[in-house]
Amino acid sequence: MSGAGRWAGWSAILVVFLWSAWATEVSATRVIEGLPFMLDFLRRMMPPDLSVIGQGVTGAIQTLEIAVVGTGVSALLALPLAFAAARNVAPPWLFYVARSVLNVFRAVDTLVYALFFVAAVGLGPFPGVLAVVAYTATVLAKLYSEAIEAIEPGPVEAVAATGATRLQVLRWGVLPQLAPQFLSFTLYRFETNIRAAAILGFVGAGGIGFYIQTYLRTLNYPAASAVLLVLVALVMLVDFTSSRIRARLV
Amino acid sequence: MIRVRGLRKEYAGGTLALAGVDLDVGAGEFVALIGPSGAGKSSLLRCLNGLVPATAGEVAVDGRSVTGSAGEDLRRIRARIGFVFQQFNLLRRLSVLDNVLIGRLGHVPVGRSLTGWFPAADVAKAEATLARVELAGLGGRRADTLSGGQQQRVAIARALVQEPRVLLADEPMASLDPALSRTVMEILRRINREDGLTVLASLHVLEMAREYARRVVGLSAGRVVYDGPIEGLTDEAAGRIFGAAERPS
Repeated sequence: MSGAGRWAGWSAILVVFLWSAWATEVSATRVIEGLPFMLDFLRRMMPPDLSVIGQGVTGAIQTLEIAVVGTGVSALLALPLAFAAARNVAPPWLFYVARSVLNVFRAVDTLVYALFFVAAVGLGPFPGVLAVVAYTATVLAKLYSEAIEAIEPGPVEAVAATGATRLQVLRWGVLPQLAPQFLSFTLYRFETNIRAAAILGFVGAGGIGFYIQTYLRTLNYPAASAVLLVLVALVMLVDFTSSRIRARLV
Repeated sequence: MIRVRGLRKEYAGGTLALAGVDLDVGAGEFVALIGPSGAGKSSLLRCLNGLVPATAGEVAVDGRSVTGSAGEDLRRIRARIGFVFQQFNLLRRLSVLDNVLIGRLGHVPVGRSLTGWFPAADVAKAEATLARVELAGLGGRRADTLSGGQQQRVAIARALVQEPRVLLADEPMASLDPALSRTVMEILRRINREDGLTVLASLHVLEMAREYARRVVGLSAGRVVYDGPIEGLTDEAAGRIFGAAERPS
């Protein structure tokens, strides 16, 4: 890129940034004015009301369950979708259809799906699971399909050269190259889904978020902070375990 | 055993890899295929087992037409043709034994092979074949923990366990250092002698061809420019294959 072009590029970015800051009413004075309220809010959360820890744990377990079922079903659905969306496997027409479908579904976040499914099937953890699946299945399919496209062709050719059928080539030439990566992506999405599932309760889709939202709304801040502590513990535990396993896979 | 008539291969981009090749290889022969890179050696070998479809001409292996077959028929022919690749092409994360068992895929029931539980007889064959290439006891190791020379021997075992009628090898030692190349060539020669297995191997080192093959086929620009005993390969003939400027070491 020429010097002038680069200068124009950076200027454009700066203009967009400043315009956006103005449009979103960014203001340092308002942050400073708000500080006492923030401190007051934090003070009222202390000390956490440990008597509601039991409820927090119940909610956390349900959040974990939503993430487990949601991620598991997503992984199963993502498998065929991923092959349909891989340029080196699918015929062109199928590839374009599959990629378009994935891009549309991924454009909407889990929480928006949760609003939709709560309206469709009622309150509780089940719409939460559906919301996790709607988003995660398509995200995983995209990640899987990119792994499929990056496959080494040599071993695949070698398996085909033994007189193997298409199915056998998939099982012995393709799957061994993909399984560790697929597992790693799935665990990573599971970590993310714990966080996503934690706020699903805010819209009535089950899990620990229900308790956080209830206590915040009834101004019972010590109880809310106790439940938040449980959430932090859950997220840290899952991240730690999952990343340890992922490190071993690759 | 191998019969090639008027074989042409033109790739989608318009590259002409094979410009009319005729070749006959008899049962039990050990033939070295030599030529500079880009001469069409890989294309010829891949046309022989149908990994690459021929543009025109005929290929028959063990009396069965490769160019006239597709689908299930072609797979049956392939199951009896072993292929050894320059880059080994093992499944790195699988065990050595599983890599060898892949050579049985054309022989075992498809459903069973998908589960990964190969019949005991096939496992026994795979283990015996590993012993033949002097890798007994390494079956449980992950393939990518082996040295390059060992990996190529696993690849040879994978081809042998197919119980092939013909063994094709595409520069099987080009990725190995000279000492290891020798081991790989020794194994190929031993199998050729002991089993009477027909071997067609492309080699980029002329000295290797002189040492191991009785017959040499020289390819240049997609044509056979020499076909005869190794003793007849004069400097003049080698020059015709490799071009005056590009004599191999």
